[in-house]
Amino acid sequence: MAELQKDPVTRGQFLFMGVVGSLVGAVMTIPPVVFVLNPTIKTNLLGQSDIPDDWLELGSVFEIPSGEPKVYRVEFPQEQTYNGGGPLLGEDSMIQAVLVSWKEGEIPSILENGDQGSFSTSEIEELTQDLNVMSNHCAHLGCPVRWFPDRGEFLCPCHGGIYTINGGLIGGPPPQGLYKYAYEVREDGAIYVKHEFTNGEPWVV
Amino acid sequence: MISRIKGWTLGVVQPIADWTEERTGVVTMLEHFLYEPVPKRGKWLYTLGSATLFLINLQFLTGILLLFYYVPTTDNAWDSIYYIMTDVYFGPLIRGIHFWSANILMIVIGMHMLRTFFSGAYKAPREINWVIGVVLIMLVTILAFTGYALRWDQEGFWAWEVGIKIGSYTPFVGAYVATFLLGGDTAGPATLARVFVIHVWLLPAALAPLIGIHLYLLRKHGEFGSEFEYSKRLAELRERQQIEEYALYEEGDEDSRG
Amino acid sequence: MVEVRRGPVEKGEVITEENVYDRPDETIGFFPSQIVADLAVSAALLAIVVALSYLVPAPLTEPVDISTTTYVPRPEWFFMFYDQMLMFFPGYALIPFGGIVIPTLVFILFFAVPWLDTEPGHSPVKRPFMTIVAFLIILTVVFNLLLGIIRILNFPGGSP
Repeated sequence: MAELQKDPVTRGQFLFMGVVGSLVGAVMTIPPVVFVLNPTIKTNLLGQSDIPDDWLELGSVFEIPSGEPKVYRVEFPQEQTYNGGGPLLGEDSMIQAVLVSWKEGEIPSILENGDQGSFSTSEIEELTQDLNVMSNHCAHLGCPVRWFPDRGEFLCPCHGGIYTINGGLIGGPPPQGLYKYAYEVREDGAIYVKHEFTNGEPWVV
Repeated sequence: MISRIKGWTLGVVQPIADWTEERTGVVTMLEHFLYEPVPKRGKWLYTLGSATLFLINLQFLTGILLLFYYVPTTDNAWDSIYYIMTDVYFGPLIRGIHFWSANILMIVIGMHMLRTFFSGAYKAPREINWVIGVVLIMLVTILAFTGYALRWDQEGFWAWEVGIKIGSYTPFVGAYVATFLLGGDTAGPATLARVFVIHVWLLPAALAPLIGIHLYLLRKHGEFGSEFEYSKRLAELRERQQIEEYALYEEGDEDSRG
Repeated sequence: MVEVRRGPVEKGEVITEENVYDRPDETIGFFPSQIVADLAVSAALLAIVVALSYLVPAPLTEPVDISTTTYVPRPEWFFMFYDQMLMFFPGYALIPFGGIVIPTLVFILFFAVPWLDTEPGHSPVKRPFMTIVAFLIILTVVFNLLLGIIRILNFPGGSP
């Protein structure tokens, strides 16, 4: 081993190392970090979503039974990573289960009259208020909740979260009730749903 | 017979070894590694560390092999694993080794950590090695977690979903953690791509050099630590100290009398 | 710092407080004795792993279905204790605490172990504080693991 040779560092060398070193360091760290955080910046700071902001038809108010929820499977178009170009890189989709039930499981009186025609604005408003359109992902850690007819409750199999038919929290570790989709009822009684949540952000789904 | 084979082998190997030694010094290095004295009493306990290393090497090997067929897209990930399990020669073996050695690795690495803790082997001057060991066990745990999400089957997906939801509860930055791991605001192709890059590139790339440093520091300080390796020497020391103390006591006794 | 001395035992060496840990009582060469032991354990593990991969093939459940209403997510065995621990932390205030803060603190504790315990003795009996803390952590893990196993065995279909 040769002996160590410790030459003094000149002012110029010191400055050069400081300035060029910082520049090299900046180029090697800042773009990679922003590159990797692309979805975070777009989602959290710019408020973009992978799911286009469209209304999707779910079903009709006449299909919702009394005393239990109806499970719909909705295919949300999803633009993630590959943004729908060319036959190989097609637009992806994400199928979600959406739970729809009446408030307290009671069919509103408007429907019991056998009114099959178009609804007026006030009737639509009433129907809208009587509906629960919920995500089936537990508000705790996202597991799929299930309806137990004999108990009349939603139960989460993971950590035992319990919800009412309205999606309200009864017990267990979840911090809140089931996430609710933005929805609207049209004149012919069709329910439309949007990938948007009115109480909290569930992530993942 | 054996001695003749030995002599013949030496005749061939010796010149090659000398030639390599002159140019790289690798023979001296090997001798330095191989002929180091290690404590006899800890022999079987110290196999835990080498077993961990062996299992991690199995992970690297079978992991690279699986990548010959695995396709990290939501459309094909599950099918490619199904293909490995049904159509590829030794597919179930290679994937089985990857899966089972990962499971056993979790046990062995835990035992290795417990052994290190209870024998007090983290004490000066080996603190840095303990810290690196804790980092390694963290990396292995995250690797185990991301590994089964790559299957893109129900079990792996829901575990990953639960993991992301836990991440979304991180104080202050929860939402950012969730979107970072998802690659968006929903689970989809970007999520699988992220799991893939974390499991296959990021963490192994961090793991490998840390294992190197772990081994280097182990060699630097030696595989010593537990007191039971020194019991004879400690007993000798105590005996000598007691004799000295007794002599001192005797002396003091005489002084007080005189 | 104590430099580990290697090589043959010096004749007539006087053992003092300083050099008592220099060299263990009995040593073996790393090659061949230790390597043979390492190889034996590694070979046994490889045999187990190969046998298991044919006896119990690595699992592959159905492809992802996010819209499932019947699937019951269950953690791998090495996360079961953690999964069970999350049961005890309900609500917005406590979930971050049980899910993130406590594991982080435990890992910080792990990192700090060499500086929390600076006593010279290596034997666990001579540093009761660290030993008790370690046993408490192991007990928590084992207890939670058992609770988790019992919970999952009682409700295999996921109905609580």
